[in-house]
Amino acid sequence: MSKSSETVDNNGFIIPNNDQDPVVDSPAERWLNWLGQTNLGKCSTVITLLFGIYVRWNVGLNPYSGQNIPPMYGDYEAQRHWMELTLHVPMNRWYYYDLEWWGLDYPPLTAYVSWICGKIGSMFNPEWFALDVSRGFESEESKLFMRSSVLILEYLIYVPSVIVFVNWWLASKSWQKRVPVLFILLQPALILIDHGHFQYNSVMLGLTVWSLNCFFYEYDVIGSVAFCLALGFKQMSLYFSPAIFAYLLGKCIKNKPQGFILFVKLGVTVIITFAIMFFPFLDSVEHISQVIIRMFPLNRGLYEDKVANFWCAINIIIKLREMFEIHVLTRISLFATLLAILPSCINLGLNPDKHRLVYCLANSALAFFMFSFQVHEKSILLPALPITLLILDEPFWSSWFNNVALFSMFPLLKKDRLILPYFVIWFMWNWMGSFVQRDVKPVVLRYISWVMTIIFVIFKEKSD
Amino acid sequence: MLKDLIIFSTFVKLLLFPTYRSTDFEVHRNWLAITHSLPISKWYYEDRSEWTLDYPPFFAWFEWILSQFAPLADKEMLRVDNLNYTSDATIYFQRATVIISELVLFYALKKYLTTNNMKNKNLLNILAASIFLNPGILIVDHIHFQYNGFLYGIFLLSLAYAKEGNDLMCGIMFAVLLNFKHIFLYLAPAYFVYLLRHYCFQETSIQGTKKFSLKHFFFLGVSVIIIFLLSFGPFIIMGQLGQVLSRLFPFKRGLCHAYWAPNFWALYSAMDRVLIVFAKRLGWTLNESAIGSITRGLVGDVNFALLPQVKANHTFILTLIFQMASLVKLWKRPSYKNFLVSLILNGYSSFLFGWHVHEKAILLVMIPFSLISADNIALFRSYMILAVSGLYSLFPLLFKLTESTIKIVICLLWFILTFMGILSNLNYKRNNIKKYSQSNESKLSYLIKIIENIYMYGFIILQFFTGIVHQIIYKDGKYPFLPLLSTSIYCAFGVIYSWIRLSVIYFLGKDDENQEVNS
Repeated sequence: MSKSSETVDNNGFIIPNNDQDPVVDSPAERWLNWLGQTNLGKCSTVITLLFGIYVRWNVGLNPYSGQNIPPMYGDYEAQRHWMELTLHVPMNRWYYYDLEWWGLDYPPLTAYVSWICGKIGSMFNPEWFALDVSRGFESEESKLFMRSSVLILEYLIYVPSVIVFVNWWLASKSWQKRVPVLFILLQPALILIDHGHFQYNSVMLGLTVWSLNCFFYEYDVIGSVAFCLALGFKQMSLYFSPAIFAYLLGKCIKNKPQGFILFVKLGVTVIITFAIMFFPFLDSVEHISQVIIRMFPLNRGLYEDKVANFWCAINIIIKLREMFEIHVLTRISLFATLLAILPSCINLGLNPDKHRLVYCLANSALAFFMFSFQVHEKSILLPALPITLLILDEPFWSSWFNNVALFSMFPLLKKDRLILPYFVIWFMWNWMGSFVQRDVKPVVLRYISWVMTIIFVIFKEKSD
Repeated sequence: MLKDLIIFSTFVKLLLFPTYRSTDFEVHRNWLAITHSLPISKWYYEDRSEWTLDYPPFFAWFEWILSQFAPLADKEMLRVDNLNYTSDATIYFQRATVIISELVLFYALKKYLTTNNMKNKNLLNILAASIFLNPGILIVDHIHFQYNGFLYGIFLLSLAYAKEGNDLMCGIMFAVLLNFKHIFLYLAPAYFVYLLRHYCFQETSIQGTKKFSLKHFFFLGVSVIIIFLLSFGPFIIMGQLGQVLSRLFPFKRGLCHAYWAPNFWALYSAMDRVLIVFAKRLGWTLNESAIGSITRGLVGDVNFALLPQVKANHTFILTLIFQMASLVKLWKRPSYKNFLVSLILNGYSSFLFGWHVHEKAILLVMIPFSLISADNIALFRSYMILAVSGLYSLFPLLFKLTESTIKIVICLLWFILTFMGILSNLNYKRNNIKKYSQSNESKLSYLIKIIENIYMYGFIILQFFTGIVHQIIYKDGKYPFLPLLSTSIYCAFGVIYSWIRLSVIYFLGKDDENQEVNS
C-alpha cells in the first residue's frame, strides 16, 4: 500500500495542516493524520476518548477476578467490601474490622473514595453494600455499577492528566500530539487490570501524572500535594517517590536564594496533606500504627506467586528463601533496591530537569519492582506508567516493556478468564502502533519475544 | 486504508464477544444442530425447539457448512435437543462465524467502490468504513446476533455487478440472495423492472427506442430458475414444498412486532391511542376489546379502538402502490442510479407499510442508501435523518443497561466520522461550484434545515428521557411502554420524513443531475 496516495486526495482539496511532513507508518498515525486532513483534527481527541470508552466497557463485560468463585472471591470483592465497610463501620474501626475478610489494607484516600462510591451505590440498591450479608454479593447491576465507577474515576483523573501531559511533552510537535494520547490510553496492561481484573490503579497513576503536570508548569507545591494524594490512595506509588524527592530536592538546592523557601513550603505542604488524610486515625499511636501495619505487611514473604522480578528469577538457581530468615531477606532486598535507585536519583538531583524526571521515575519504579520486598505482579503497572508516557521518545523500549509486562501478567489474567480481551487489545495496541516493525536492528529480539509468548501460551494450555 | 479497515473492524468485533445475545443466538445454534445432525428431509419438519428453521434452503446449507467446523470448538452445540446451550466455545465459535462471513461484505464493498474508478479515494474509504462498521450491523449482528452482514454482502455484490453493467450476474446474485433470506423479496419489484428494461430490452438503432431481446430474457430466466431449483429442488422432489413455504411465510403474526418498528403503523396505532383519550371524554362508543390490552403490539392480533382495522392484504396493497410509483420512473429511464434509488424506495415502502415489520429491516433501506449518501448535499441530509432515526430505533433491541454504553458510543463515533467525513468532501465540492454560481439557498430551505437539525438533536433529549428521566419519574413501573412508544413514534417521523425527502429528490430531480455519480 502506498502511503501518500492513501491520504492525499487526487483533487488536492485537502490542505495538510501539519508543519512538517509526517512519516506515516503505523495505522494509528495514518488515521489521525487522515483525520487532520479531513478537517476532523479537532475531533480526534473526542474520537480517541470515545474509542477508549468502547474498549474499556467491552473489556469490563468479561469476568472480574474471583467472579463466581466462593468462598473468598477476589480483588473485586475486596473493593466492594471496602465500600460496604466504610459505609457502615465507624471510622475508628475501619482498619480493625474483621481483617480475615479482605480487611482494609490501602491508605485512607482509598477508604474515602470507597465511602463515596458506597454512598452513591446505595442510592441505587442498598443491598449491594449491606453490612456482612452482602459478602460475595454478585449481580449484573452491581457489576455494572462497579465497572462504571472505575471508568468514571479514570475519565475524571487519569485521562485528562494524560492529555495535559502529552500537551506539554510534545508542545513543539503540533500534529504528533494526537498519536501518543491514543497509545497511552489504549495501553493494554492498565485496561486489563483495572477494567478486567478490577482495581482502581488509574486513580493513583492519574494523580501521579497530575503531579508531573504541575511540576512541568512550575506549580511545585500543588504537584507535591497531588503526589501525596497518590500515596494516600495507594501506598504502591512509593515506587515513584525517590525520583520525585530527588527532583524537588535538587531544585531546592540549585536555586540558592529561593530554594530554601521552596524546601520549607514543600515540607509543610507534605506534612499538612498527610495530616489531613490521616487525621481520623491520629487519635492514638496504637491506631496509626495499626493503619501503617495494614498498609505495609512485612510478614508475607519475599514475593507472591510468580512475579517477573529479580528474586523470583534468581530463585531458580539460588533458593534464597530457604537460606535466610525473613528479616534478613527484608534487609537484602532493601539494600538491593536502594543500590538500584541511587545512581539515577543522584543524577536527577544534580540536574533537576523535567525530561530527566520521567526517565528517573521509570528507573526508580523498575528498581522497586525488581528488587523490593513483597512485589505483586500487578505492580508492573507502576514502571509501565512512565515508560508508556515515553512512547514517542522511546518507541522501541516502551512498547517492548509493555509487551513483556503484559506477558508477565498472563497467568493472572488467565485465572480471571480474560484471555480473549487479553489477546485482542494486546494485538490491537501493537498493530495500531506498528511497534513490531518499528526498528530494524533489535527486531530479532522482538521476534524472540513473540516466539516465546506463543510457546508459553501453548505450554500453558497443555499443562492445564 | 481498506486493509486497515478489515483489521481494525475485526478487533472491534472481537471485543463484542461477551456482550448480550438475543434469542437469535439460540435460533442459529439450533439451525446448526438441525442441519448437521438431521437428514435434509427433516430440516423443515423439526420442531423440538420453538425456533424452527424458517429461512430458505440456501441459508440452511450455509448453516450446514458452518456446522462442519463446529466440532473444532464444541461438539455439544450440534445436538438438536441441547436447547439453550451456551458454552464459551459455542459463543466464540458462532460469533467468529459472523465475523468471517462478513468477509463477503468486505469483498462486495471493495468491488462496488472500486468499479468505475472512483477517483476520490478519501470518500471511498469513508463509505467503505461507514458501511462495514455500520452500527446497525454491529448491533444486530455482533451483539444481538444474526448474519445480516453476510447477506448484505451478497446484496452489494449484485449491485456491484449492476453498476459494472453485468446485468446477468446481478440477477443471479439477487436470486441467490433470495434463497438465503426471503425478506429481500421486498426489493424484487425494482430488480424485476430494472433487469427487464435494462437487460431484456436492447437499444435499437433508432434513438430512444428499445427492442425486446428474447435471448437475454431466456438467459436470465433460465439462470434464475436453475438457482431456485438448486435451492428448492430437493424439497420439491421430496414433496415438501408446501411445508417449506409454510415455514417461510407464517401469516399468523400480527401487524406490529413486539416493539413497534418506526413505520406508518406505529403512527397509526399511536393515533388510535390518542383518539381513545378524546373518545372517552366525548363519550363515543369504542371497541372495548382493544382498550383492555395494555400490552398492545405484542405478537398476535392488534385491535384498533376507533380507526379501521388493518388486515394483511391491506398492507400489501399499500406497499405495492408505493413501490409502483418509484418503478414507473425506473421503467422510463432504467439507469443504474434510478435503479438504486428505486431499490431504496422499495425498501422504504415495505418497511413503512409492511405487515409485521421488524425494526431490523431498516438496514434494508440504510445500506443501499449509504451508497448514494455522498452524491450531493440533498441526498446526504436525507440520509443523515434516516441514519439517525433508523439507528436510534434499533436501540431498544439492546434493552439492558450494560449494552447502552456500547450502543451510544458506537453510534456517536459513527456519526462523527461518517457525517463529518462525507460533509467535508461535499463542502469541498460545493465550494468549487460556488465559485461559478451564486448560492441560491432560500429562506424556506434554511428553515427546513433548522427544523431538521432540531429534530436530530431531539434524540439526545429522547435518550435522556428513555434512559434516565422515565425511570426516575415512574419508579413504581407505571407506563412501562412509554419509552418504547416514544422511541418508535419519534423515529417514525424521521424515517417517514426522509422517505418523503428522497422521493421528492427522485421524482422532481432532473435526470442529468442523477447522472452525477460521485466522480
